Amino acid sequence: MAAALPLLLSACLGGPQYPNSTFTDHTDFNRDASELWNTMMLWGAIVFVFVEVLLVYTMWKYRRRPGGPEPEHVHGNTRLELTWTVLPAVILVFIAVPTVRSIWRFQSGAPANALQIDVIGHQWWWEFRYPEQGIVTANELYLPVGRPVNFNLTSKDVIHSFWIPQLGGKRDAVTNRTNHLWFTPDSVTPNAFNGSCNEFCGASHANMRFRAYVVSEADFASWAAGQAQNAVFPPPAPDTAGGASAATVSNPAPAQAPALPLAPGYMFPAEQLPAHVVPQTPIPDGLVIPDEVLAAGDPQRGFEQYNRSLCIGCHRIRGNPRSPGVIGPDLTHLGSRHTLGAGLFRNDARHLAAWIKNARRMKPLSSTSMPAVGLGEIDPFTKQPVTAALGGLNDQQIADIVAYLLALK
Amino acid sequence: MATVAASPTYTTAGARRTGIMDWLTTVDHKKIGTLYLHTALFFFVVGGVEAIIMRWQLMRPNSTAVSAEVFNQLFTMHGTTMVFLVIMPLSAAFFNFLIPLQIGARDVAFPRLNAFSYWVYLFGGLFITIPILFNAAPDGGWFAYTPLTGKAYSPGQNMNFWVLGIQILGISSLAAAFNFATTIINMRAPGMNLMRMPMFTWMSFVVQWLIILAFPVITIALFFMQFDRFFGTNFYVSAAGADPLLWQHLFWIFGHPEVYILILPAFGLVSEVLPTYSRKPLFGYPVVAYSGILIGFLGFGVWAHHMFSVGMGPIADTVFGVTTMLIAIPTGVKIFNWIFTMWGGAIRFTTAMKFAIALIAMFTIGGISGISHASPPSDLQQTDTYYIVAHFHYVLYGGAIMGIFAGIYHYFPKWYGRKMDERLGSIHFWLNFIAFNLTFFPMHYAGMLGMPRRIYTYDAGQGWETFNFLSSWGAFLMAPAFLIFIWNFFRSKTRGEVAGDNPWDAATLEWSIPSPPPEYNFAQIPMVTSRYPLWDLTHPERMKDIPHSMDGWDEAKLRTGEHVTATGVHEPDVAPMHIESERKSAKELGIPMPNPTIKPLWVAAGILVLFSSLPVMYAGKTLAAFAMMAVGAVMFVGFLYAWLTTPMEDAH
Amino acid sequence: MAHAETQTASHHFTTTGLDNRKVAIWMFIGSECMLFASLISTYLIYKGKSVVGPFPHEAWTNPATGQAFPPILDIPVTSVSTFVLLMSSLAMVLALAAVENRGKPVPPGLSGKILSSSKLWLFMTCLMGATFLGFQAYEFTSFVHEGLTIRTNLFGSSFFTLTGFHGAHVTAGVIWLGTLLAIDMKRGLQPKDAVWVDIAALYWHFVDVVWIAIFTLVYLIQ
Repeated sequence: MAAALPLLLSACLGGPQYPNSTFTDHTDFNRDASELWNTMMLWGAIVFVFVEVLLVYTMWKYRRRPGGPEPEHVHGNTRLELTWTVLPAVILVFIAVPTVRSIWRFQSGAPANALQIDVIGHQWWWEFRYPEQGIVTANELYLPVGRPVNFNLTSKDVIHSFWIPQLGGKRDAVTNRTNHLWFTPDSVTPNAFNGSCNEFCGASHANMRFRAYVVSEADFASWAAGQAQNAVFPPPAPDTAGGASAATVSNPAPAQAPALPLAPGYMFPAEQLPAHVVPQTPIPDGLVIPDEVLAAGDPQRGFEQYNRSLCIGCHRIRGNPRSPGVIGPDLTHLGSRHTLGAGLFRNDARHLAAWIKNARRMKPLSSTSMPAVGLGEIDPFTKQPVTAALGGLNDQQIADIVAYLLALK
Repeated sequence: MATVAASPTYTTAGARRTGIMDWLTTVDHKKIGTLYLHTALFFFVVGGVEAIIMRWQLMRPNSTAVSAEVFNQLFTMHGTTMVFLVIMPLSAAFFNFLIPLQIGARDVAFPRLNAFSYWVYLFGGLFITIPILFNAAPDGGWFAYTPLTGKAYSPGQNMNFWVLGIQILGISSLAAAFNFATTIINMRAPGMNLMRMPMFTWMSFVVQWLIILAFPVITIALFFMQFDRFFGTNFYVSAAGADPLLWQHLFWIFGHPEVYILILPAFGLVSEVLPTYSRKPLFGYPVVAYSGILIGFLGFGVWAHHMFSVGMGPIADTVFGVTTMLIAIPTGVKIFNWIFTMWGGAIRFTTAMKFAIALIAMFTIGGISGISHASPPSDLQQTDTYYIVAHFHYVLYGGAIMGIFAGIYHYFPKWYGRKMDERLGSIHFWLNFIAFNLTFFPMHYAGMLGMPRRIYTYDAGQGWETFNFLSSWGAFLMAPAFLIFIWNFFRSKTRGEVAGDNPWDAATLEWSIPSPPPEYNFAQIPMVTSRYPLWDLTHPERMKDIPHSMDGWDEAKLRTGEHVTATGVHEPDVAPMHIESERKSAKELGIPMPNPTIKPLWVAAGILVLFSSLPVMYAGKTLAAFAMMAVGAVMFVGFLYAWLTTPMEDAH
Repeated sequence: MAHAETQTASHHFTTTGLDNRKVAIWMFIGSECMLFASLISTYLIYKGKSVVGPFPHEAWTNPATGQAFPPILDIPVTSVSTFVLLMSSLAMVLALAAVENRGKPVPPGLSGKILSSSKLWLFMTCLMGATFLGFQAYEFTSFVHEGLTIRTNLFGSSFFTLTGFHGAHVTAGVIWLGTLLAIDMKRGLQPKDAVWVDIAALYWHFVDVVWIAIFTLVYLIQ
């Protein structure tokens, strides 16, 4: 019975109602940790049942009865002492041996063919770089199934910790250090997973989430090709975009015709997203821009407005020379992401507009991160209303910028 | 001369002050223990309220009951409060009250230093707690990881209060540790060799060594942080090439022994409670003592198991993983010895006994979950999740707090001369036991289902709602349980059933004197011949297998003096083991007692003023800060000089 | 002062036969060992990790300004102050012996008179301690003039903090011994006061031993 308990537990907690369960075996790393867990819980359950049953039996058997005899005054028993010293030691050997084996398997270097991904923690978002593919993105990872991934983790500011419960983890991103974590998503159909920061990193520690999409090798290649190119703006006209498919994109960067707008790459289909990776964080009161204003947003006007705005000081859009910033997340393909604000909001016009209007109310931020931009908004740090002189934008201007940014697929 | 037990009060000598001044000037270890107990219970309420607000926020997803900033202050202060202002001082209350009584001493080695420790603790506690009323409490976690807590990322005053407050509390802990360790080494009654010390004293002895050796490390780590924040040094500044992990190593070299500083006193208390209510001696006394020493010793070699995710490499992970697993052995040994103490006994299920048994049952759960993160690959899926929160609450609440409750119910009659109400105690126990498990057991699930720690909010649909809802209701139920305890505690002081000197039929020296003990504790220091001196008198039949000897008696008779009572009788200071039921004043007996003094309080206040000047300096008010430093330094030096030049007791 | 923190009623009896203060000072020294171990470890961990100079044993040129910095530690000067501090321990031993032997017959001759003067040896200990502090003050000021402050780099932070903590301990020791000297001048220390001198001496020797470790690890080993 004790043996069945941990296995039963793991099986129950791996179900779909627990979308971030660690009891899923989607990677080799994960499977190893699960095996260790099962070993330990097996022994743990045996010890637990033995101790608690012994305790309860002792309490019941030796409860004081009226007129009961005076207890025998035993002071100790060397043989018993030896038994309960040696037995736990033996159990620990059964736990320690697979532990050590697993340590050396997963904490030595990653396989040579691993996909390299640089993970850089920022207060409070994740920067992901694929050096071999020339990709810089934020808060959303694409991983090809069946290929080892090696994460090289570091931090720009404070200590963060990188964790995708269903795939494996957890590893700290530490300044002045590069840590490594690797695993192979090997037994999973295309799927989306939640990731989180697990080391307390300040005000918005809870809001430093990210997504990982495990996709087929071909889809990954398409996505990577799309992300590697410069911003696709203005978006391809319907006749040129008509032929855009994974096949055409898999042969990217026609260097002879750089002026031609390129086709966006693969993006995890929105309709296939499992419910738990679709954020439900509500927009704070008073930040919603009416839908009709958003609908009137014009990408071309937004492009011009963006280039005159404060945004360009911190954000980069490759292919837009006016926007070289490196402090905030790279926006080159913002429209290809499903989430916003480090996994906190859905990436749609309503949320993006509210975010631009007053990011510091959407999510607790620091005094050096994205300021409020909406005209008349009170910035939580300066406590002053945003004016046009400070670079404030009205709702229509924001709607235009939103249209531009979401067009960047 | 015997005072009527129905109106128990401390006897007072001529020079005693009365009312509030009595408490401000006391150097009596029992009264200082009382001060520690009450102050710690006050901070327990503070820490509990902090926890309940957090659970209110986390009861539902995307809740906005409190802001992120407030939540971060709450969890930082909850941890800091419970570790430094509740569990350690509750243990200190028992060190103070019990150690001299258990070893047959009239006070601790340095009574005035003892008062000083208390006042420093009180001032440090207020210093670190009061800012929360102004939304300026520390917010970097009780572990205060750099670089987050450096000036660059925590520019406010918040972390200043933490770094300085912990420094102040460290002074208190260290001063107390030197004092108690000296007391145990040097002031045991004749015949009480180390292997005859009561188990609580044994565990306390180990704890003092842990404090002596672990606190200097955090002191230095804090000095670095303090210098970084106030004087612009680079110890934790990444841009200057600093290694952010230096703090983590120093913090956990202190922090892991700290865990045993928190738990071992509770182990000691249940080692007193279990034999008493089983009517049997402690099973395997030497093994229980040695395993305590071993836990303390190993405790210094496992710190990096708090850091498996920082990327130390496979060698360090292997070493720290294996040493951590080794600690399970002496801990398991203790559990089995406790169960076999009960085995074959005649168990009385008093409230104290229930709490002691609960410690065994709950600590076992904490121990087993502990093994699962002693294994680094497994720990990587667990560290910094709610699974860890569940684990250490099973250890610290299910272990330390349950043990301390057992101790309070068990020793209340000795402390106040009356028993706590058993019916209310039973309600307290069961409500607390159920609420505790309801709060913390679901956290195991939340953690293994991917919920990180220290988050002030989480999204809906992550599979965490049910567990958080249960945990929150558990926390809400803990509050009435604690209120019942507080009601029982204060009511029983004046209206509880009169207890008598040895209501539980216990075996150790503290039960051989009146309840509450007279200020001098022992009119004549008992000379003991065995591990259970009182049972030698009351239950000689229980003692036949226990070795007896009169080790140290001759020497003691030679070296101890005598006191001359008011009626002119010469009484030797020592006498063979005996029961003292007469209550006289120290003056009548001619026993010289240390004079009450307020100087330790003022020296502690000087330290408070000195430390308070630094936040003032941080705020840019340099002149005011220097003025405060000058005042603080004058207070400190002046009152210390006055203290050291005043004899402790009147000439005799 | 001598009666200050004696024990409670059972004056005459302690379990070990040692005075409580003596037991306590040994534990205090144990604690101090961990304190200095933490400081020294930090210094060694940060050795060679500074991003900018000046450095202890290597020359450095500031790439921005072109200013050249020689290796900053002056080992010969510090060797002298180290010698002075070590000699102070000898004086401390003689001071304690003089107090303990007070009342016993003084050996004949000048040397006997000198050896039995606790005032002289307490004074010498203080003087040598103060000399060491003078050397340290000189060292610190010259470093600051040469461009190394506690804020400059990791070496500066860890060096000044480590040696500063040691200097603070020496300062406390000099004040402590100075107080004993003042009492000795006022009323003369008697053998019953010897435990006060004894624990001060233990502290003083400890501070010396720590300096040997610091001098070796910081100054001598490159």
